Amino acid sequence: MTTSAWIVLLAPLAGFLIIALTSKVLPWRAHGWIGTLAIAVSFVAAIATLVALEGRGEEERQVVSVAWDYAVAGGVNAQVAILIDPLSVLMICVVSGVSTLIHLYSVSYMASDRGYARFFAYLNFFVFSMLLLVLAANFLLLIIGWAFVGAASYFLISFWYRRRTATAAGIKAFVINVAGDVGLVLGTFFILRGTGSIDFLQVFERIPEAFGRNDGDLVAGALLLLVGAFAKSAQVPFHTWLPDAMEGPTPVSALIHAATMVTAGVYLIARMHPIFEQAPAAADVGAIVGCATLLIAATIGLVVTDLKRVIAYSTMSQIGYMIMAVSSAAYAAGMFHFMTHAFFKALLFMAAGSVIAAMAGTQDLDRMGGFRRAMPFTYGCMIIGGLALSGVPPFSGFFSKDEILGLLVERGGWHVVLAVLGYVGALMTAIYTFRMIFRAFHGDPVPEAQELEHGHLYHAPEHTNPATGEIEDTDVGFPGADHHIAEREGTMKIAMGGLAILATLGGVVQIPKVNESLHTFLEPAFHDSRLYEELEPTGGLVLLGMGIGTLLGLLGIFIAYQLWVAHPERPAAIRARLSGLHRFFVNKWYFDEAIDLLLVRPVAWFGRFCNSTIERGLVNGALVGGASGAVRAASAAVRGIQTGYLRYYAALLLVGLTGLGAYFLISA
Amino acid sequence: MSMEWYLVVSALIFTIGAGGVLVRRNPLVILLCLELMLNGSNLALVTFARTHGNGDGQIFALIVMVVAACEVAVGLGLIVAIFRRRLPIDVDELRELQG
Amino acid sequence: MTIHLSILIFWPLVFGVAGTLVPRNAAPVFALVGALVPLGYAVLMLFDFDLAARGLQYLTDDEWIPDLGIHYRLGVDGLNLWLVALTTLLFAASALWLVFRPPPRASLFALHFGVAETAVLGAFLAQDLGLFVLFFDLMLVPFYFLVGIWGGPERIAAAVKMVVYTLVGSLIMLAAAAATAVLSARGGNDLSFAFSDLVANRLPESTQKWIFVAFALAFLIKMPAFPFHGWMPDAYRTMPLPALAVFSGVVSKVAAYGFLRVTLPLFPDAVHDFQTILLVLALLSILYGSVMAFTQTNARLILGYSSVAQLGFITLGLFAADNAAAGAQGALMQSIQHGLVVAPMLLVIVLLAERAAGSEDIRDMGGIAFRAPVLAGLFLVATLATLAMPGSANFAGEFLILLGMFNDQQVFAFIASIGVVLAGVYALRLYIRAMHNRTGPAVTSFEMSVRDGLVLVPLVLAIVAFALKPQAALDHAEPSVKRAVAPVLQAGGSQQAATEVRP
Repeated sequence: MTTSAWIVLLAPLAGFLIIALTSKVLPWRAHGWIGTLAIAVSFVAAIATLVALEGRGEEERQVVSVAWDYAVAGGVNAQVAILIDPLSVLMICVVSGVSTLIHLYSVSYMASDRGYARFFAYLNFFVFSMLLLVLAANFLLLIIGWAFVGAASYFLISFWYRRRTATAAGIKAFVINVAGDVGLVLGTFFILRGTGSIDFLQVFERIPEAFGRNDGDLVAGALLLLVGAFAKSAQVPFHTWLPDAMEGPTPVSALIHAATMVTAGVYLIARMHPIFEQAPAAADVGAIVGCATLLIAATIGLVVTDLKRVIAYSTMSQIGYMIMAVSSAAYAAGMFHFMTHAFFKALLFMAAGSVIAAMAGTQDLDRMGGFRRAMPFTYGCMIIGGLALSGVPPFSGFFSKDEILGLLVERGGWHVVLAVLGYVGALMTAIYTFRMIFRAFHGDPVPEAQELEHGHLYHAPEHTNPATGEIEDTDVGFPGADHHIAEREGTMKIAMGGLAILATLGGVVQIPKVNESLHTFLEPAFHDSRLYEELEPTGGLVLLGMGIGTLLGLLGIFIAYQLWVAHPERPAAIRARLSGLHRFFVNKWYFDEAIDLLLVRPVAWFGRFCNSTIERGLVNGALVGGASGAVRAASAAVRGIQTGYLRYYAALLLVGLTGLGAYFLISA
Repeated sequence: MSMEWYLVVSALIFTIGAGGVLVRRNPLVILLCLELMLNGSNLALVTFARTHGNGDGQIFALIVMVVAACEVAVGLGLIVAIFRRRLPIDVDELRELQG
Repeated sequence: MTIHLSILIFWPLVFGVAGTLVPRNAAPVFALVGALVPLGYAVLMLFDFDLAARGLQYLTDDEWIPDLGIHYRLGVDGLNLWLVALTTLLFAASALWLVFRPPPRASLFALHFGVAETAVLGAFLAQDLGLFVLFFDLMLVPFYFLVGIWGGPERIAAAVKMVVYTLVGSLIMLAAAAATAVLSARGGNDLSFAFSDLVANRLPESTQKWIFVAFALAFLIKMPAFPFHGWMPDAYRTMPLPALAVFSGVVSKVAAYGFLRVTLPLFPDAVHDFQTILLVLALLSILYGSVMAFTQTNARLILGYSSVAQLGFITLGLFAADNAAAGAQGALMQSIQHGLVVAPMLLVIVLLAERAAGSEDIRDMGGIAFRAPVLAGLFLVATLATLAMPGSANFAGEFLILLGMFNDQQVFAFIASIGVVLAGVYALRLYIRAMHNRTGPAVTSFEMSVRDGLVLVPLVLAIVAFALKPQAALDHAEPSVKRAVAPVLQAGGSQQAATEVRP
């Protein structure tokens, strides 16, 4: 079993190395297939690990496999070791499975990009990093995987690196993620100081003895871990990088910025549950921030006009649900939502990518419309993804979202408020999802859609950056000589079809009162949790919650239909009436501006101040000037003697000799 | 006659020579004054040789004379060379060594 | 097996001198042989080094100036083993670089290069304070000429500034070294400069204090640390890059090593007393260096100020004084890694300048990656290691430094961690402005040649290898570092005990 788990980890790494080293050697499309194959091998190995794990006794389902010592010094016991337990196995199955499909999609979607090999190398590196993150058996390795996925995300956001907007978005994502890494590192220090270990299983075992409930150090450590989780999972106020990350190619948005990496924060909290259960104050912060994020993101999602950014804000919002769930001890529900979300959100992004390709790179919803007939397959996938996202039965998102909200109600106390707000968010989710679908696919066909209906794919006369209007430098590939839409590419169809099936049926693994297989499966990973078993939804409440969820989902779709299909003139009227609120949402609650004002500008100002004042005055003036000034003064004094007059030297000689003679005479 | 007088005379000659070296600017005169200094010390050497009754001092004096002769030859040669190139015959003008 | 350290030290010097006697175009080859053999020898030493043995290995001990008690005493332990290996590696890489791109008056260049390697190796291997000071000051001589003769514009001013400023520190250190030996010989002992004797006869606390200040000043100037880095910008701006690669890579590490070898064991009470001041200076170096690094546009200065910040981290670790000595181990680790990383970065600047019409200003670069993917890849690995991304060995070092600091005084660790974030900003800024974005107006990009690859690829592979197993260096270092730090911990402990008793 450990062998197969190592294969899960190493196959993508091997794929990355092969692609990187042969990028100039192999023919054009080979790299795509190598990359896909590597991930597929990883997926098969993940399934093998799952089967092997299930074959073990309940008590033996947490296995650690050590490869070598990484840094064992100074009280740190870091080894290269993987932890195989139901939680990590669930993660690797979902990550490698969804990744395989997205690779398959990319084989065609990116086919005309000149950075084809580079793209697959990065993508494989990302999958390796993500698997490293979830398989890590100690904090240090987790941090390494954590940073690697951040770096991979940076590479892929800046993939079209001649775009200034792409490199700016990349560095923004990277720096916010590094801030998260630092939080994680400092949090680890608190845990390490208390427990004397960074190995997960040891730490979790020692937590109850090492720290009291809500011990100050533990809460501080847990909050710092949360900073890491928030930065990676784009939670308020560390979320500003995620919408900008949409600069990357669409498969990247599907893989990294929807399905896998951004959910790492959820995994982190679930993995660290003994810490958060011992520090409930920190867990409460997590739950509240998750709830705030889901509402804020949903309000922005209602007004954004960039197709990919609508989905990005929806991702933020859905991760808000997950963070809220795992912070409130609804671990299985959170992981369940992670899984279904990976399916339907990847599907939505793939469909969006297909539409964007049909628009020759344009992402603006204002310029789309009427693609329904031109792209029936994409439309169908979009509808399935949209229904799952809106939480309409029997699609997968319905079960997972309602389980989260149901468990929050079950938890009682102020968590009920979170649940109510979660339902409000669910209504908004349905509205913005179908707003997006109706605006892109309904209404009168735009010229691009008409052209496609006549069997010809639209090509832009010259490519411009959708964000700035700048003319693209197509050297690095963007957007390629040709576009690829799902209707015409078999691999894209297979990938999207597979995800559509999963998004539809994924909910069956966990249906209240019918099937609790996910809950049972994850149980060994949470055997030390006090709350895992306690939190069981009661019958009446479950049905009520499901009823409300269904109603809100359908209501949202109905509202969206009324506004954007039946009465397309109404949104403008509403916008005019609520112009202040609209501006506030369109400007994303002014988070970017606030961060700029509070952090970026002061640091830049300080840099200029250092450069102009300290460097010149203190360092060069006082210190260098002081040291060299002393030397200069001394040498000036000596130089004064060197007049160059011969007789001056002779006189000195004479005086010196006389002095010497006099000294000896007197001393004698 | 005690040796003090010889030494006083030798000191006087030496001082006159030294003063000349320091004050005069014509290299020819400086050379002359240098000769004076050498001869002043020669006188002292011979005096001591005589007083102590051994010949070491006289040998020293002879060597000094030989060296002085060489020095005069080189020095005069230099002065003639400077003169021939029509450079000013003034040691204060030759001060490349100034720091 | 016996390793003769004298051969290791003087081999480069011999070949440097020999290089001046052969025809001019053969001189770089002599320099290369002079640098490759020590590299091989050092690698041999890495394998041969006995992990179980305590104390110094391959000891060479001869009387040199008996009247002054100065010994010719060389030895290797966990503190200098990897630093010696790093030195030989970087000098070999730079020498290879010189073979492919010979500078004007190559034989003279090779001579100074050989002298420099001898001096650095001597400083690392010396086990006698007098010898250490001698080699420490000798390091300055070749670099004075390397800046003064082969430097860019304003090289004379830069060379003089560098020499005068660092010489002030060195002279103070010389005086302090003499004082250390003389004062510790007071109690009837023989005058001796050997470290082992000096450790045995430790000075009283009040004397330690002013001597420590003198040493600290010399090392902080050499590093350089804020606010003593005034000479650094000019020297970095003008020094020829192959020389700068070894200068930034190892010469600054001699100062860090000096703290570990000289001040911590010899003046533990003073270290304890001055700990806070040094930690504050280290923090200021980190923050100031980082902030300055992202206001610069000259690629050399970005790396120069980033070195100030990185050496700030190293200083922080050295003086963390935590019980497990994590800080000092991290500092040693980081010294090795920073040297290993900054050298290829500086050599890459040569390649970037070749593609950006000779300019080393990042505003004139841009878009180089597209036609030079291999160069971009190597540069990227080095950049990520520079910003100490987790997964690089630099991170392992930084992690231990911050951990040590955290366990001793957690406020400092929190402030220092700001520097980690800032490092991400300035390192990526350099990479993006050079490699990505639109192609600069004067840029003509092309892939790097095989010969450049011969130099850069091994260095980058070394970075990757360390990233996979930083333990390799930590294994050797742990016992020696713990021994070096132990006196400081005792000083702290005894004083704590004293204050506990007093009230």
